[in-house]
Amino acid sequence: MNKNIKILIVDDFSTMRRIIKNLLRDLGFTNTAEADDGVTALPMLQSGNFELLVTDWNMPGMQGIDLLRAVRADPKLASLPVLMVTAEQKKEQIIEAAKAGVNGYIVKPFTAATLKEKLEKIFERIESSQ
Amino acid sequence: MTNETGALGEEYIDRVRTLAQTIEAGDSTEAARLLDELTSLREKTLFQELGRLTREFHEALQSFRLDSRIATLTSQEFPDARERLNYVVSMTAQSANRTMTAVEESMPICESLEERATALKAEWGRFTQRKMSPDEFRDLSRRLGDFLDGVNKDAPTLRANLQEVLMAQDFQDLTGQIIHRVVQLVDEVESNLVDLVRISGQGLVAERPEEKKEDRIAASGPPVPGVDTGTVAGQDEVDDLLSSLGF
Repeated sequence: MNKNIKILIVDDFSTMRRIIKNLLRDLGFTNTAEADDGVTALPMLQSGNFELLVTDWNMPGMQGIDLLRAVRADPKLASLPVLMVTAEQKKEQIIEAAKAGVNGYIVKPFTAATLKEKLEKIFERIESSQ
Repeated sequence: MTNETGALGEEYIDRVRTLAQTIEAGDSTEAARLLDELTSLREKTLFQELGRLTREFHEALQSFRLDSRIATLTSQEFPDARERLNYVVSMTAQSANRTMTAVEESMPICESLEERATALKAEWGRFTQRKMSPDEFRDLSRRLGDFLDGVNKDAPTLRANLQEVLMAQDFQDLTGQIIHRVVQLVDEVESNLVDLVRISGQGLVAERPEEKKEDRIAASGPPVPGVDTGTVAGQDEVDDLLSSLGF
């Protein structure tokens, strides 16, 4: 697993961004950037060579699910791995995210171990598909 | 009401009987007069009923307008509640940041302690196995002394940071109290609204409210136990659901 990859963390709550940033740093990922909703995140993704997107669902402006759809619709970003970290946990929503092409789905509150496990799974798949 | 209807009924029956006899007798002028009488009798009761409803409605609205509690609710308590809830958001954010600052400060201290202890432990092992020259031992002894000084210095910092984490939890009590007050306000508004619906709905046929179709995909925040349904119970269920979809 390449720990130098650039990761974008999108959440409207700065405290949650800080938590995720700290957990990622603990796992060895130090190259992170932050955005507070989809509207700010999308242009950053389009110009920033990010290799992983970690996003919340419920945000003002552009929601996480719409950001995911926008990413999949953009030919340059379509294959970007997307990990959703959210308090949204209706079955329909999880199915919707899966349909939209999410690579991992973590429900809040979550543990450092869950984040590690899901990240490893995402990278395993990328490596095995290459 | 029943008595009224009874008295009215008799008035109607008498006139209707006379009306039938008059028509049979072929007296059209008298028949027309009786019909007019019947119509005005009906209008009179309708107007009486309408008048009664109007008066009740007026009085109810008047009493509502005079209820200064409603005025206070809209002019003061709602803006207050908004302020209070905003305050809860800023307090919880402040507390989370205090905690994380303490953790961010402590983490490198722990890492450095662990690193230095691991290095010293390896050398101490060599010493106990008598694999160390006197020069090396002098160096080890000096570094052990430095390490112990470091622990002495770092421990109070760690203790202070842990204390800070502990104190940052005071938000739960404070925000809890504020939220309770807002819940009380919502209760009061609810009972006032119920009163209003009761008053304005009198004499009207209660229409069945159209069932609101819920958008199951729209974001709704963390599920509240007992309120939200159709949610998964945790990460394990999310994983099960996704693996059933071929993930």
